[in-house]
This record gives sequence, structure tokens and C-alpha cells, in this order.
Amino acid sequence: MTSAIVGRLSQALLVLLALSVIGFTGIHSVGNPVYNVVNIETATAEDIRNATIALGLDQPLWWQYCRFMSNVLAGNFGTSYIYHLPAFALVMSKVPATLELATTAMLIAAPCGTLLGLLAGRRQGGWIDRAVLKASVFALSIPSFWLSMVLILLGAVAMGWFPSSGRGPTVLLMGQEWSFTTLDGLRHLALPALTLAIPNVALIARLARAGTAEVENQDFVRFCRAKGLSSRRILFRHTLPNISIPIVTMIGMQFGGMLAFAVVVETIFAWPGIGKLLIDSIQLLDRPVVMATLTFVSVAFIGLNALVDLFYAVLDPRVRLS
Amino acid sequence: MRAFWKRPERGRAGFARLVLAAYVLLALAAPAIAPQNPYDPLQIFGWEASSPPGTSSGGGYVYLLGTDGLGRDIISTILYGLRISLVVAVTSTAIAALIGVTIGVSAAYFGRWVDAVLMRIVDLQLSLPTILVALIAIVTLGPGIDRIILAIIIVQWATYARIARGVALSEIGKPYLDAARLLRLPTGRIIFRHILPNSIAPAITLLPIELGHAVALEATLSFLGLGVPIDKPSLGSTVANGFQYLLTGQYWISLFPGLALFGLIASINFVGEDVRRSLDPRSRSHDA
Repeated sequence: MTSAIVGRLSQALLVLLALSVIGFTGIHSVGNPVYNVVNIETATAEDIRNATIALGLDQPLWWQYCRFMSNVLAGNFGTSYIYHLPAFALVMSKVPATLELATTAMLIAAPCGTLLGLLAGRRQGGWIDRAVLKASVFALSIPSFWLSMVLILLGAVAMGWFPSSGRGPTVLLMGQEWSFTTLDGLRHLALPALTLAIPNVALIARLARAGTAEVENQDFVRFCRAKGLSSRRILFRHTLPNISIPIVTMIGMQFGGMLAFAVVVETIFAWPGIGKLLIDSIQLLDRPVVMATLTFVSVAFIGLNALVDLFYAVLDPRVRLS
Repeated sequence: MRAFWKRPERGRAGFARLVLAAYVLLALAAPAIAPQNPYDPLQIFGWEASSPPGTSSGGGYVYLLGTDGLGRDIISTILYGLRISLVVAVTSTAIAALIGVTIGVSAAYFGRWVDAVLMRIVDLQLSLPTILVALIAIVTLGPGIDRIILAIIIVQWATYARIARGVALSEIGKPYLDAARLLRLPTGRIIFRHILPNSIAPAITLLPIELGHAVALEATLSFLGLGVPIDKPSLGSTVANGFQYLLTGQYWISLFPGLALFGLIASINFVGEDVRRSLDPRSRSHDA
């Protein structure tokens, strides 16, 4: 067990290291951020040279990478070129907003998806089953940016029920600002969370449907039925626990995916999370912030995946023993 | 590939096939049937910008779906955007499949450290969310149609490589390959003429599904302003252009191109699902 954990973690670390080299080389070979730092109209050639030296851009790339890595190991991602704040602290200040969004979306998606999957899988080929399968293909086909826009059009422009952008009032709780504690904050949360949730409802429903269909044909379910248990009790007390492991896995993996996909949704809803920060920073060539954000998302995603793998091993005796 | 053209059984995904065929025809015929050429400034009337659907134009036709913020006919931008979306997706999916399968088969054939290194790279890629890989790639490569094709290839090749390697590994133990080796055929010939054709089938089932992903990915990157250039908009960038007009109620600029995009991806996905199901007997009973 311990060797499995060590093996899994060292593999994850190797992935991160490789990623940092690729990402660093890529991001540092595009554009010249000096022009976003100095005032282009008034800057003299000397100003530009000084700024280049101040940002360390006069050094060769491999040296910049070594310096970056040694700083990162000391917990320092450098200072944002634009905001003049420590890059990592800047990213961390945006994390709660993204976490709040992703968690809300998952709280919508997991129960809805599981329920739909159970209902669909219980009677394979029935009208619920066919409707869920069809709807899931549609739900997985909608590009998330267009889904956001349709929801804005319906919920904000046409009906006026929900605000179309921003985070609304926040309340300080445990040292962080949160939206979900106020009614207006919840209204701001509704549309972006729904956008993130809809494809995941479809994914989870398909997974739950496949699991249910398999479990419902097994002997113990037939026995339950013979015993005269109500079909609702069979579904929730006997089938659901048996299909829960893959669903939990999927939830864990998709949660990491949401952190990454939040890029699109946050950009559209002007949700002040790490996704919007990433896109803004890419466009402004704010390299330290781009590196810090990408590192955070990758670590979170790979960490979550490793956790899910380990969790799987704990839950499923077959994996644990092999 | 034959399964794609096979007559659909019991009308399964038959409608989706029809829609997809219509999309391809429309894209091919775009210059002939579009009311105007949205890339030609001489055919665009700036004072007719943001006209609602049904307005008649100075060019002697009716803007059935309205015009965008620059005065371009929405139907025409959809038709021309469709061409770009499809060209980008088809090119990148085809090249990604070719590269991926070749790499997967080579990894299986050479084994040892080649296999280990290549498969670690595949693991690295598949352990990250696609949008993240695409963002890193496009930030590195810069904007432009050729770059976005390259970015999608970078995102997709790994899936094909993993699948092709698995099949190729089981092929390599077979007698006909021992015979090929004993005949001292050149390595390239063994890989491309003997192993590859026998390991390509499962990768082909993936094609339509990955094509749908490619369309969505290109649209998303273009929407974020990191994709195709603005003067030659794809469906994704057309939708993006309309976003700023959405809040003022000019819904048609982004709604209709988005609807076209959604229909395209959905029809590809329905067909892809059907192809996969009919080629994979295991998933015929319980499709996950």
C-alpha cells in the first residue's frame, strides 16, 4: 500500500516537472512583456533596457528557468508584471471564488446525474432510458461558452431573474470572501454554476445508467425483488451503493476538470476566479501569474486524480489486493 | 470506416447522419449559396450593422437571420464559418490520428526504452484536462489557423497512440510478423505495411468522437480570442463577436451561429456514438 502511494506520488511529481519545463519554455518564448510594463509612448530606449534587466529578461532562457525553479521551491512565483503583487498570493486570492463555483456545480450535478442514471438504467430501453441517453448526447455537445450565453439570454436578458456577470456581495467567512451566504450572491452563482453542471449531469447520468443496468441484472437484486422489497428501496438501498465507486471516481476527476474548464465560464460571467485571471494574464503576457495559475491548476488536477486512485484502492478490495 | 456508410439499422442515428451530410454540403457550397461574401468589405454595408432578422438589405436580399455588429449577413458568416470550423477539425483529427497511430505502433514494435518514454509522454498528456493542454499549446504557438490545427493535434494524438499500441502489442506476437522479420523486410515496411493496417480499426472508431471534440475545442479557443484570426471567423469566433451585443438584446448575432455550431457537434456525436456502438460488440448491450 505504502509503495503504491509513493509510486503514484512520484509519478505525479515527474509529470509536474515535465509540465513545468514545457510550459515555461512555451510561455517565455511568446511576445515581449516589457511593452506591457513600460509606457510605450514615453519610454526611452534606456527605460526599456532597464525594465528588461529588472524583469530578468536579458538572461538566457535556461537560466531564467533555473532561477524560476529555485524560486518556486522556496514558494516564490515572482511578482506580477501588471498588478505588482506576489503572483502566487494573487492566484490564491482568486481560488475561493473558483472553488465555490465548482463545488456548487458539483452539488447540482452529482445528485441530478445519479438520480437520472438510476431511473434510466432501471428499465433499459424504456422511455426514460431513451430520453436520458438522447439528452446526454445533446448536453455533451453544447460548447460551454455558448451554453453560458444562452443561459444569460434566457435567465438574465429575457427573464431578468439572474444577474449576468460578477460575483455579487460577499461575506467574510473563515478569512475568505464567499458569495453563497447571501441571497444575492446565490443569484449571481446560479447561472455559471448551472453552465458547469449541465455537461457533468450528462456524464454522471451515463455512468450511473451503465452501472445500474449491470447491477439490476444480478442475482442479489432479483433476490430482493423476490423478497418483495419495493423497487424504490432496491434502487436506493441496494443498487446505489453498488454503483457508487465509479461515480465517486468520476466526481473527483470531473471536479479537477471543472477547475480547468472554469476558464471559459468565468471569462463569460466575469466571475473573479483563477480561470479569468489566467486568460487575462495570457493576454497581458503577465508570465509569473500565468505560470503560477497553470501550476496551481495542474497540481490541483493531478493531486485530485492521485487522491481518487488511492481512494478507489481503499474502497474496492479487488484493487487493494492486486 | 465502412460502418459509417453502412445503411443505418432501424433508422438509428439516421437523422443525425442526414444532418451531418447537410452540414458538409452547405460548407462545400457556401460561396455559391451564401447571399454575400462576409470577407469582402465591398459587399458589406456598414450602416446596416446589427439589423434584426428579416430586415431587407441594400444588396437586394433579405437578412433572414439579421446582421452582426459590422453589417455582415449572419447566414453568410455561418456558412463561411462552417467551412473554417470543418477544415480545422477534419485536418487536425486526421493528422492527429495518423501521428498517434504511427507513434503507438512504433512504441509497441520497438519496445524497451522507446516504448517507456513514449508511453510516459502519453500518460502525461492524458492525465491533464484537454482544455489545459490546448491552452498551454496555443499560448506557446501563438494565434493563427495553422497553429490551432497544431494545438488540436497536440491535444489528440495521445489517445490514438495509447489505443494503437495496445492492439499492436497483440499483433506483434503473431506468426505473420515473425515471417516478415525473417524475410528481413525493412523496419519501416513492417511497421507501415504490416502492423499498422492491422492495428488501425479501434483508432478509426474514435475518429468521429474526436472530430466532435476538435470542433468544440477550436470553437472554444476561438471564443477565448486565442484561435482563428478575426478577419476569417470560424463559428466559434462568430459567436464570440456577438457576445458583446447579447446584453443589449441583439441576441441573433450570437444565438444563430451558436445554434449551428451546437447542431454540428451534436450530429457528429450522435453518428460517432452509433459508429462506436455498431463496431464494438461489447458495448452493444450496455453502452457506457
